[in-house]
Amino acid sequence: MARITLEGITKLYGKMTALDNLDLDVQDNEFLVLFGPAGAGKTTLLKTIAGVEFPQKGLVKIDGEIMNHVEPMYRNISMVFENYALYPHMSVYDNIASPMRSKLYKKDEAYIRAQVERVTQMMRIDNLWERRPSQLSNGQRQRVAIGRCLVRDPNVFLMDEPLAHLDAKLRHFMRGELKEIQSSFNSTTIYVTHDYMEAMSLADRIAVLNKGKIEQLGTSLEMYYTPCNEFVARLFGEPEINIFDGELTEQDGKMMVRAFGQPEPLCVEPDAAAVLTKGQHRQVHVGIRGNDVSFSFDKLPGWIQGSVYANEPIGNKVIMVVDVGGTHVLLVAPNDTQAEIDQPVYISLNMKNAIYFDADGETYIVRSDAERYTGKLAAAMEGR
Amino acid sequence: MASTSTIKKERKDTSALVDTQKNKKAMTALESFGRNAGLCIYALFALFPLLWMILCSFKADAQMYNTVFRFTPTLDNYEAVLLGTDYFRAFFQNLIVSGGAVLLTVVAGVPAAYALARYNFKKKEDVAFQILSFKFAPEIMVILPVFLIFQKIGLYDTYFGLIWVYQLITMPLLIWVVRGYFEDISVEVEQAAQLDGYKWFNVFFKILIPLVKPGLVASGLLAFIFAWNSFTFPLVLSGFNIQTITITSLRYIASDTVHYGQVAVASVIAVLPEIIACLFIQKHLVRGLSFGAVKG
Amino acid sequence: MAQLTLTGIHKRYDNAEKKLFKKKKVNDYAVKDLSFTCEDGEFVGILGPSGCGKSTTLRMVAGLEEITGGDAYIGNVRINNLLPKDRNIGLAFEDYALYPPLTVYENLAFNMRAKKMPDSEIKKAIDYVAPLLKVDDLLDMKPPALSGGQKQRVNIARAIVRRPGLLLLDEPLSHLDGKMRQALRHEIKRMHHEIKCTTIIVTHDQMEAMSLADRIVIMKDGELQQMGTPLEVYDNPENEFVAGFIGEPPMNLLQSIVHHESGQFFFTFENSPLRVEVPERYYNFLQNNQKVILGVRPVDVMVAKRTTAGSHVPISIYENLGDERRVSVRVGDMLLNMTTTEDVRYERGQMVQLEFNAEKTHLFHPETGSRIR
Repeated sequence: MARITLEGITKLYGKMTALDNLDLDVQDNEFLVLFGPAGAGKTTLLKTIAGVEFPQKGLVKIDGEIMNHVEPMYRNISMVFENYALYPHMSVYDNIASPMRSKLYKKDEAYIRAQVERVTQMMRIDNLWERRPSQLSNGQRQRVAIGRCLVRDPNVFLMDEPLAHLDAKLRHFMRGELKEIQSSFNSTTIYVTHDYMEAMSLADRIAVLNKGKIEQLGTSLEMYYTPCNEFVARLFGEPEINIFDGELTEQDGKMMVRAFGQPEPLCVEPDAAAVLTKGQHRQVHVGIRGNDVSFSFDKLPGWIQGSVYANEPIGNKVIMVVDVGGTHVLLVAPNDTQAEIDQPVYISLNMKNAIYFDADGETYIVRSDAERYTGKLAAAMEGR
Repeated sequence: MASTSTIKKERKDTSALVDTQKNKKAMTALESFGRNAGLCIYALFALFPLLWMILCSFKADAQMYNTVFRFTPTLDNYEAVLLGTDYFRAFFQNLIVSGGAVLLTVVAGVPAAYALARYNFKKKEDVAFQILSFKFAPEIMVILPVFLIFQKIGLYDTYFGLIWVYQLITMPLLIWVVRGYFEDISVEVEQAAQLDGYKWFNVFFKILIPLVKPGLVASGLLAFIFAWNSFTFPLVLSGFNIQTITITSLRYIASDTVHYGQVAVASVIAVLPEIIACLFIQKHLVRGLSFGAVKG
Repeated sequence: MAQLTLTGIHKRYDNAEKKLFKKKKVNDYAVKDLSFTCEDGEFVGILGPSGCGKSTTLRMVAGLEEITGGDAYIGNVRINNLLPKDRNIGLAFEDYALYPPLTVYENLAFNMRAKKMPDSEIKKAIDYVAPLLKVDDLLDMKPPALSGGQKQRVNIARAIVRRPGLLLLDEPLSHLDGKMRQALRHEIKRMHHEIKCTTIIVTHDQMEAMSLADRIVIMKDGELQQMGTPLEVYDNPENEFVAGFIGEPPMNLLQSIVHHESGQFFFTFENSPLRVEVPERYYNFLQNNQKVILGVRPVDVMVAKRTTAGSHVPISIYENLGDERRVSVRVGDMLLNMTTTEDVRYERGQMVQLEFNAEKTHLFHPETGSRIR
């Protein structure tokens, strides 16, 4: 267990800025997920905490003590690397036993054996002790790497995309396993992934990274329901959130928003309208998720007309892309929905779940019923 | 982007397939026999000088100019060389000089290779290329200036001098091959070992060295062969104290006649260690040289 | 426009080919007795895990691999011994293989120029095909300047520019990231809708096959497992492999023992108190103490709203993923996964009862894996 604090970390590789004046506070025993697109700086951040990369500026503190000049081996950190980094000339058993054979963390062979047994059973690789890494599949190698990380009892676990190279079935299974043992972890864990479902499932909090900066830090529900900007909003959710231009107008004393070049404007929920009026916004970007869009092949009053751009059955649902005057709207449909390309279709949006963004800065303004999804209320109800 | 090579590969696949389809039936015993015969002829051609040398060592000087096989074998030459002269002294001196050179190359070269693989510093590639360029320069070109310098600093005719100069021929290959091997080991393996609690020294010896061993052995062996065979350097830079085998062979060229038989004996014994070593490590030689050294 | 018929196709690698292609399975059949028909204008996806023989099948159809046994027909013509160039097919591999020094236009025109087609015809063909894959504004650029997605579009455009009878795509989307993959999927579908070319796509990604293909051929270890529309293989998998392979998240496949008690059948599970009522339609096929594999998709099993007569099981995992909630319960050594879009919340360890959608359960034989009807 350890509290990790990063203050003003800047890391450059040549001319490229990997981390840009970054601050982060990780609570004791927290499971923090670093999430973001490729190249955002997640791996660099992890390596900086581990001490195998050195920041040009800034302080790395563990439990309040500055650790910048402390060697990796003394920081009591365990790490899973994205490319496994197994020792090619050692067997699986020796690979996993290795942390416990170094002078620093030395344990006797009986203890080592017991630990290796425990960990390999958990990872379902207990029948592979004698093999070399070159004789293993990618999935097996990844499990050995995770095993080597978990076999010790360090202050901090750092995991860099540990499930990335596993096939879908195995990834599902491992995610379940990790979630189950997560509660028994006695260490602070920082976990990197680019799979939003993994992030939402495992994290106490998520830090979204983009180009070396933290865009948002918060619980998974905060990310999904109240993203701080359009970039974060697009990262969560399948299909990707629809964001379209809107112009705020008034009709019969109620605030409405005009979009898609339609004559009929869409309703704005009163509590959201209040915030929008206070901020004196005129042009906004409206975000609506695919499961808040309904469709019909019959013309219904007030529904927006479009044509089917694509219709994708993906198993338990169908994702339909509707072309509305040049803009693409993605929606979720029942899995037996059939549609012809360019067939006319009518859509209706559930404005209760609309998220409003500032048209210039693309930052979050408001959504209806925001308190329900943020802060203490959400955590209490989430059942963690 | 590997598009061109991919295209070539695709085309080669296709045409190779078409060929196989067409020629499958034609791959008869005749072709296979012809191929083997051709290889045998070439092998004979390549090995002939060696065979001839061995034969010469058993021929008396008088019969030297006979055609190759008509002679009465004699051990006189062996007697003369091995027992008559201090041949074995030369053999061991060569061993010391070559062995010492390779040892120094390994001790200095492996860390250098590591530095070139891992660290980024200005003009790194220039330094690397410079090291490689030592191999390009013919020894004759540098021998005179080196001779003069060695005389001045008193390294003429010393073990240390020769070992030092031999680095010109032993180090470049080793550094380049071993560097390739280091580059193939992802840096994360070292970082993982550090996090496991190993000091850098342990990481180097327990983890890194075992992984570069094939390349190290192969290039080390080749370096030994280059050093062992070296002629120009010992010729000019050593005098009485150190007589390497290569030079020693010259001795059998007497003022009046050339004792080819004795020269042959000297040569045969000289190449023995190399041949034996190569035969044993043949497999590793090919693998070690090609695997790590070639970077795409 | 052509119909592709494969009958009893076998593929076996002999020693020479093993060395050429570095295959591991020698003297083993890479493809066994494969037969299916691809109708004129149809979009067929060949789907399966790596090593199942799908790429080998595609290469046999293309003429890059020899067909060891069986017959392949395009239309009425037997193509087994035809060279690739004589089969009138368009090929797009997963590595793009564009010629770097040529512009996109020249890349597209390459084959046609080799066939000495007149310039005007070449231009007409390219002008028709380029907008379909949105490469019309890339025509003057060269491959090194293009992104991965753009290169793949050009690659596919090149394959169809001569309007072949059959279009073959080998894992075209595997090197692209999420968003680009989605966009290109749409383009390929729309392109197919426009030119109605018989198309075969090979992929290991079941989502890709489901979203693009009219019908899917599922292969494993060189054998055909099932062929059908996406909905057919999703709703009616013929064996355990297909059931577990299609669908994300994967179908629950639980080992269970049938228990007969006072006229009713129940599914029971080792080390678990859970009992599930067996739907009536199975009654004639089951006996007491029979072992079966019960298959049910996560969307078809849910936490019961009302109390039923069944037993309670503890909640193992609860995940709130925004779009949906995922709940897993422990059934003996196995995990039963459920998904729902309802806004429900559970605690770990909470005891709940389960409700199964009886229509959507599947039974499989524990040894052979085939469906019990």
